[in-house]
Amino acid sequence: MPIKISNNRFKDIVHSNLQDQFMRSSMSGAQDGLRLSRLKIINELGDWEEWRSHGEEIRKHVLENLDYYLNELSDNVEKLGGYVYFAETAEEANRYIEDVARKKKAKKVVKSKSMVTEEIGLNKHLEAIGIEVVETDLAEVILQMDNNDPPSHIITPALHKSKEDIRKIFMEKLNYTKTSDPTELARHVRETKRDDFFTADIGITGCNFAIAESGSVGIVTNEGNDRLTTTIPKTQITVMGMERIVPTFEEFEVLVTLLIRSAIGQNITSYVSVLSGPKRMEDVDGPEEFHLVIVDNGRSKILGTEFQSILHCIRCAACINVCPVYRHIGGQAYNSIYPGPIGIVLSPLLGGYDDFKDLPYASSLCGACSQACPVKIPLHQLIHKQRQVLVEELDEVPIQEEVLYKTFGLGGASNVLYTTSTKMISSLMKTFIKDKKYISKGFGPIKEWTSNRDFPIPKSERFRDWFENRERRIKE
Amino acid sequence: MKVTLFVTCVVDIFETDIGKATVELLERLGCEIDFPKKQVCCGQPFHAAGYVERSKPMMKDMIETFENSEVVVTPSGSCALMFKKYPEILANEPNWAKRATTLAQKTYELTDFIVNVLKTENVGAKLNGVATYHTSCQMTRLLGVKDSPSKLLSNVEGLQMKPLPYRYNCCGFGGTFATKMAEISEQMVDEKVNSVIETNADILIAAEGGCMMNIAGRMQRRNVPIKVMHIAEVLNSH
Amino acid sequence: MIQQRESFLNNIAKALGRDVNMANKPELKWQYNPQSSTLINLSKNELLQLFKSQCNTIHTNYVVSKVADLKNELKHRVELNGGGPVSLWKDERFAEFGLQSLIEEEWPALNVAVNEWNPDIGAANLTQAKRSNVGITFSDMTLAETGTVVLFSNSGKGRSVSILPKTYIALIPQSTIVPRMTQAAQFISQKVKNGEAMPACINFISGPSNSADIEMNPIIGVHGPIKATYIIISDR
Repeated sequence: MPIKISNNRFKDIVHSNLQDQFMRSSMSGAQDGLRLSRLKIINELGDWEEWRSHGEEIRKHVLENLDYYLNELSDNVEKLGGYVYFAETAEEANRYIEDVARKKKAKKVVKSKSMVTEEIGLNKHLEAIGIEVVETDLAEVILQMDNNDPPSHIITPALHKSKEDIRKIFMEKLNYTKTSDPTELARHVRETKRDDFFTADIGITGCNFAIAESGSVGIVTNEGNDRLTTTIPKTQITVMGMERIVPTFEEFEVLVTLLIRSAIGQNITSYVSVLSGPKRMEDVDGPEEFHLVIVDNGRSKILGTEFQSILHCIRCAACINVCPVYRHIGGQAYNSIYPGPIGIVLSPLLGGYDDFKDLPYASSLCGACSQACPVKIPLHQLIHKQRQVLVEELDEVPIQEEVLYKTFGLGGASNVLYTTSTKMISSLMKTFIKDKKYISKGFGPIKEWTSNRDFPIPKSERFRDWFENRERRIKE
Repeated sequence: MKVTLFVTCVVDIFETDIGKATVELLERLGCEIDFPKKQVCCGQPFHAAGYVERSKPMMKDMIETFENSEVVVTPSGSCALMFKKYPEILANEPNWAKRATTLAQKTYELTDFIVNVLKTENVGAKLNGVATYHTSCQMTRLLGVKDSPSKLLSNVEGLQMKPLPYRYNCCGFGGTFATKMAEISEQMVDEKVNSVIETNADILIAAEGGCMMNIAGRMQRRNVPIKVMHIAEVLNSH
Repeated sequence: MIQQRESFLNNIAKALGRDVNMANKPELKWQYNPQSSTLINLSKNELLQLFKSQCNTIHTNYVVSKVADLKNELKHRVELNGGGPVSLWKDERFAEFGLQSLIEEEWPALNVAVNEWNPDIGAANLTQAKRSNVGITFSDMTLAETGTVVLFSNSGKGRSVSILPKTYIALIPQSTIVPRMTQAAQFISQKVKNGEAMPACINFISGPSNSADIEMNPIIGVHGPIKATYIIISDR
C-alpha cells in the first residue's frame, strides 16, 4: 500500500465519514483521553518546553548532518556483521528485500508495525512473489484480516473499528469463537500468531531511531511483537526512513522520552529494544543475518527546502491527537497513510500534489498541532506554506477564487477601492436579506458559509463613518 | 495615552458595535483615540489562503498608515498577530522588514494592552448575567494572550463566568476554512455551540470578530438564544 | 556489506547545498540539557519509592526481599503464578544470591521443570522458553522513573527468557536502581566510546506486554508476558 490509500475525492470521503457516528466518537474519545494523559505525563518531566527545545535541536542537528550520521551508522552496522542497503526509491527497497527473501528461500515473513513499509507497499510486493506476510501488531492484524483496510491513525491504526467489527473479522478469518471482549480478542491473536514467529523465515521491523555511534536500531512497542520478530526468525530486515537517526545513545534516550509521552500519554512502553547487528556468534537467539534498509523515497527532495523541518518528525501522532479537523473527519479521510497535520504536510511532498491538493485546506490553522509537537515542528506554518505552493507555484486554485482575491487584493491595497468596495458589498448584500440582521442564503464567496450558518449583514454605517461623524459632532 | 485604533475590516464592515465599544472603553481608561482612515485589511485572509505575494501591498499600506502612531491597539488577536508576522513575511525586503518590526513591536491586542500596558485589571464594568468565554486559537495559542481576558472578566460586576468545555478546540472559523471546508467547519462549530449550551450561560464572550461571526451565525441558524458579545462590549457595559 | 551508499549520501549533501561529509565528526554542542537534572537529587529510598509507585502504573506486582529470604520469595512467586516450567538465564548471579539449591534441588523435587539457558543446545532453548510458564532474569540496570529493567543479552542471557513465557519475573538488586533512562544511556554510550563490545540486544522492559489497539481499551498481555513480577533485593 503506497502513501495514497484510495482513488476517492477528499470531499466525498469527508462527506461519508461524517455520517459514521462510531468512527467519530472513537476519534474524539481517543483525543480526549490522550489529551489528559499526555498533559499529565509531560508535566511530570519538569520543564517540558526545555525538553521540546532539546528535541528540536537534536532533530535539526541530525538533519543538517544526515550524510555524516548515515555513513557512521552504516559503517558500524557493517562492523557488526550486518548488511546495509541504501534505497533511493520504494522500488529499490522492495527489490532488495525480495532478493534477500529469495536467497533465504523464504515462504513466510512476520512483521512488527512499520509505517515506512506501508509507505513503500512492501506487503503487496512480497505477496505478489508468493511470500506469506504476517502482520503481528494487534491493530495491523485487524486491518490485514479486514482485506487490508487502510489505517486511520499512525499509532493506533484500527481506531475506526469497533470491537464488534473486530470480532466479526476474527470469526471470519481467524476461526475466532469467543466474545467481543478486547482481552479475549487480543489473546486469540497471541495464540494464533505465536507459531508464525517460529515458522517465519524472516522478521521485518521498522525503526523508531537508529543510533549512529553504535550501529543500533531502536524499536519501541507495547505488545512485544517486535521482540519476537527480532528474536526468533533467522533473518532480520529492518526498514528505516533515512531521517530516523540520532548521533548517540544520549540523544536516543531524549527522543524516546519525547516520543512515548507524546504518543500514548505514558512515560514508557513495555518494550524499548536496542538491536545492534546480527546475534553474536556465541549467542543462541536473535537473527543470524541482519539487513538494514535505509529508505529515501522522496525525503532528500525535502531536504534543503522550506519544508525541511517536517523531516524532524518522530511519528508520535501528538499533532493528530489534538487536531480539531481530524477529530471529525477521521484518519482515512486524508486518503494517505499519514493523516492529520503531519499528513497534510508530508503527503503532498512524498506522494505529489496531484493526489493531495485538498489537504492543505483541511486545517483551520489553529496551531494546536504546532503546540503539541514534541520537537517543535511549526506544523500549521508548514500547512500554510503548502497553500502558498499550491497558489503561487502550481496555480492550483479555482478561477472564481483567483478573481475574487485579485479584486479584493487590489481593493485592499488601495484605500479608495477598499472604501468603495465595502460600500458596494453593503448595498449588494441587502438584496439577499431574510430579516434585518442576518443573511441565510448567500451567493459567491459566502454561499458555502450560508449553507450551514447565517451571515451578518454589513452595517449601513461602517465603523469608519461612525468614527468620522462622531469626531465631527464632538468638534461642533 | 495616545492610542491608534486598528479596527479590522470585520469590525469596520460587519461588527461596528465592537469598534464603538473599543473606542468608548479606551477613552474611559484615559486614552486618546485616533483612527487613520487609510487603514484597510491587514491582509490576513489573503495571506492565510496562500496568496502571500498578493497580500504584501496591503501590508505595506498598513505599515505606512501606522508609521506615526505611538501604540496601535486592535480588538482582534488574529489581526494583531498578523501585524507581528509582517517582519518575517517581508524579510526579503530589509527596509520594509525594519519598518514592519517597528509596527509589530508597538501593536497590542486590546485586552493585552489594558492589562499589561495600562496595568488595569478592573475597568469598572457592570453586566448582569452568566457567561462563558471562547478562547480564540490565534490569540490564545499563537499570539500568546492567555490570561488577560479572564483577569478582566473576573472583575466585571454582576457577571458570573462558567468554564467552556473543550475550550482549546477551534470553533471552525479559520478564515477561508469556514467556506472552503464548510462541511467540516459545520461540525466544528456545532460542537462549539453544544459546549456553549452545556454551560447554561446566557452570554458567549469572545475577543475575535471572526469566531463571533462563525459561532453566532451557527447559533442563529439553530435558533439558539444565547447572546454573543465581544469582550470590548462586555468591558464597556456599565 | 554496504550498497549504494555513495550516490545516496551525495543526494543528501547536494540537497543540503554542500559536499558530502564523512570525515569530520559534527560537534555535539547542545543548548538544552533537561535530562541531566531530571530526578537526580533523589535519595536511595526515594528512588525505591518512585520505582514502586511506577510498578502500579505498569501493572506489575512487586515485592521487596532480603537476599536471605530471596529463595523462598522466588519459590513463592513462581507458585503464585502457576508454577513451572521455569526458564532462566545461565547467570552467575543466581548462585551469588543463594538460589542454586532452589534451581538444582528444590524445584526439581517439586516437579517444577527448570530450563537454564544452555548455549550448547542451541534452538532447543527457544522451544523450552516457549513452553515455560515463568521466565526469570536479573536486572542489569533498573530505572526508577519508568519501572524499567534493562537487560544486556549475551550467550547465557537469552532474549527469549523475558519474552516467551507467560509470566516474567525480574530479580532486581536495589543497587541497580538509577533515576531514569538518562543514566542507562550515559552508561551505554560511554561503553561505546570506550570501544567495548555492544550486546546484540539491549532490552528495556517495563511490565507485561499490553495494547490499546481495540477501542483504546487497555489490554494487559498480548504477544509478550501476560503477567510480570519484580522482586527487589533490598540488601544488594
